[in-house]
This record gives sequence, structure tokens and C-alpha cells, in this order.
Amino acid sequence: MQKIPSTSAIFTSLLRADLLTQWRNRKSFVLILIVPVVILFSWKTVIDERGGAFVLGTCITLGLITIGLMGYSNSVARDRDKGIFQRLRVAPLPAWSIMTSRLLVQMLMILLLTSTVFIAGFYFDHISLSAGGYLLGYVTALVGGAVYLGIGQMIVGLIKNAETVHSTSRLVYFVFIMVGMFGELGILGTPIGHLVKWSPYGTVKHILASSFQSGSWDLSATRALLLTLGYAIIFSVLGIRWFQWSPSEKG
Amino acid sequence: MNNPSDAVLEVIDLNVKYGDFQAVKNVSFSVRAGEIFGLLGPNGAGKTSSLSAVEGLLVPESGRIRVAGFDVKTHARHARANMGVQLQATSFQPELNVAEIIRLFAGIYGVILTREKLDAILENINLREAGAKKFGQLSGGQQQRVSLVIALIHEPKLVLLDEPTTGLDPQARRQLWERIEALRNQGHGILLTTHSMEEAESVCDRVAIIDHGQVISTDTPQTLIDSHRNDPAVIRASRKGRITLEDVFIGLTGNQVRV
Repeated sequence: MQKIPSTSAIFTSLLRADLLTQWRNRKSFVLILIVPVVILFSWKTVIDERGGAFVLGTCITLGLITIGLMGYSNSVARDRDKGIFQRLRVAPLPAWSIMTSRLLVQMLMILLLTSTVFIAGFYFDHISLSAGGYLLGYVTALVGGAVYLGIGQMIVGLIKNAETVHSTSRLVYFVFIMVGMFGELGILGTPIGHLVKWSPYGTVKHILASSFQSGSWDLSATRALLLTLGYAIIFSVLGIRWFQWSPSEKG
Repeated sequence: MNNPSDAVLEVIDLNVKYGDFQAVKNVSFSVRAGEIFGLLGPNGAGKTSSLSAVEGLLVPESGRIRVAGFDVKTHARHARANMGVQLQATSFQPELNVAEIIRLFAGIYGVILTREKLDAILENINLREAGAKKFGQLSGGQQQRVSLVIALIHEPKLVLLDEPTTGLDPQARRQLWERIEALRNQGHGILLTTHSMEEAESVCDRVAIIDHGQVISTDTPQTLIDSHRNDPAVIRASRKGRITLEDVFIGLTGNQVRV
């Protein structure tokens, strides 16, 4: 009789494979960094006007959107389409371990993104934070990242076809970036500006910028944090509920 | 002949429904240790649904499935630990090479794989040089060999092979048949689905013909041929002056093309 392998052994194997997969896709990580780094290079006047925390918050938010919408959702859709999940599911492993391993890799990507933005901000624009600011920045980046991973999960939950997931996530990405950035800067008018402020884009950016400066955390930041957590929970729960392991799953 | 208590797979009164459509109706069969059991049927007959229920990929409406004595519903992980699966369209992460894929599944099945053991596995399937290649860079036959090695990495009692020779050239197909027969001789129970009657006749010890979700006949290929030799539908289906398993299959399931 075969024994059930230990969950830790299974998880270690899955994580090693997912990390290797991510490593072999390191070009995609460079793509994640392009927009934030370009902004850090080109927004010198915005840094003077609105401060380093605002720009760092914007850069990390854009990176988080890319990870959740362009990275995570597309890789899950591809693997589902190719039957990679089905092959794993016929093995004696708990289903949660497949997704948890992938999410851990995405969390590592978030930490790498945040570190890169901090380092680039320091060297290109001389933006420096307190030790507490950096630490809280990592924590809020993970919380904010959960919102976009949740949205990515919701897209692959709602849409079965990998090509449609790809085009939809690109569209949502474009809307988030354009409406978020221009709405926040007031270019799209006051009502849109308010909407953006309390949207996933605005709340994530708000908590990130507030976490960088210990004195700037106020009631508005707490509200943004609660909304961010709410978004993360709702999107993730819906995404998990709607998710199917196979594009042709019936019944 | 093995006795029924040697069964490594028991499927009892299996029913699978998709909405209002009943894909599998009261299907029962068993696979014994050291036996190759073929599940034959036209497209949409219920083969893949039955197999998916055994694999635990879908929840049946009713019925009981036991793998090596473990109920797939109540002891799913125990049941899966005792089965090795080669899916119809197996795919692995395209970024990983063959050695990394084998290592991944060895870890998942709790098998300790040393460098020497991995080399021996690759050598055994004539893929020593292909360890560093990506799965997608292999030929169809090589991909099938890797998939089979992964299905067998934990020495399961039951091996499920879903149309394993589809798309293979005659040499690769013959080679795979030999491997499947070697597995049988080692005592593994093998459940094989196939569209190829030649394959079923050549390698299967027993076959079940399934159509419209129901098992319509179960026996050894030769007994099926002998017992249906005089059926008018089977004689009408015969093309070469002698009755083959394919003629029996056409006679029992009809000659209409299924989509």
C-alpha cells in the first residue's frame, strides 16, 4: 500500500517548481518593472510637487497591478488551458497547495518589486524613508498586492478561455492605469477623481503612500486600509468560488 | 487467472450526470492486479467520464469507486496515492525540463529521487540525453514515455492510461505496448481507454464495451469475438472475411459516426 506523502514534502516540490518556472520567466519580471522605473526617471517635477512618498506609492501600485493582472491571471489561465492543473489534481496532494505555492511566488515578486522601487527611488531621485517606513511599505505592498491578485483570480474564475483571459486582463490593466493615474491627477474631472480615490487603485496607493511616512497615517488612511482589505477579501472569495480547474469542466 | 479479490479497482453502479444529461448509467467493472483492462467505446460513450470519476476529477451522482480498497470519495488522497495516471493530453510547465518535471512528481508522490536513480529512469526510457530538454521539445513518443514514467514513479497498484497511443507512429506504439505488457507482468493493474481495436485485441486481457453511458459487454477479446461471431450486425460489419474485435464493436455500437 502506498503511503500519502507529507504535505510539507509536496509543498516543497511544488514551490521549487513554481520558483523555477518564475525564474525561467524572468523577462516578464523586467516588464513588470519597466513602467515604475520609467516613472521614477521621468517624474522629477511630480516628486518636487507631491513628494517622494506619492511617487513611490504610484510606482509600486502600477507594479502590483501588472503582477496581478498580467502575470498571475495569465499564468493560471495558460496552465489551466494546457491541462497542467488536471495532471497535478490526480496526484495525492491537497488542491489548496497548488494555488498557495503559486501565491507565495507572487508574494515574493511583490517583495522584489517593492525593493527595486525603493532602491531605484533612492539612487535616481534620492527618496529615502525611515526603517519603519520601509518595513510598513513591504507590509502594505503585500496587502495591496492581494487586491490585484484577487482581481486576477476573479478574471480567471469568470473566464474559461485563456486567450479571452489574456485580452480581458490587458483591458482591465489599461483601464486601471489610465483612469487611475489621470483621474488621480485631476485630469478626468472631480467626480472621477473621487471615484479613483476610493477605487482599488486609489486605496492601495493611499495606504502605500501613508505607510512610507509614519506621521502621515490618518483616519482617511485607515478607511483606505479597511476598503483595501474588503476588496482583497471580496475579489479573492469570488475568484475562488468561480474558479474551475479545467476549461471544459462540466457539472 | 487472478481471482476477483485481487481487484485494484472496483467501480460499482457508477452514475455521472452533467445537468440533465446522464453520461454514465450504472456502470460496473473491476480491474485485477496483473491485468490489462480495456474500456472501449465511441466518442461520447462515457469512457472519459468514467475515467475522470475514478481519477477524482469529477464527482459522480452515485456509485462506489475503490482503488486498492480505498474509496475515492472518503479516502481520496489514499486512493490517488495508489494510482498512476497518464491523461489523454498530458502537459507540464513548459519552462521546466524533463529531469525537473520528474523530480517535481517524485516529490509530490513522496519518492526520494537521487541523481543516480533519475539517471537510471531516463536511461531506462532511452532519454538519458533528453533530461535537460523541455517537454515540448520531445517527440510524441518521447513525451508518452516521460508521461508513463511519471505515472509509475511511485509504483502504483493501478495505472490509468487514457488513449496512450493516440498520435504515435507504429514503432512508438509497439514499444509502448511492450512497456504496458511489462507493467502487467510486474503485477500492476492497468485500465486503458482506446479507440484502437487493434490495440485492445493485442494487449488487453479483458475489455468492456461502453456505449450511451452503459457497459454493453465485458469479456476477453477472443470470447467477445466468439460469442458475437454469428450476430447479423457483426457479420454485416465484417470486411475481411474474418470477424475481428472491431467488427464486434461496430456490430454492438452501430456504424454511425459519433461527434
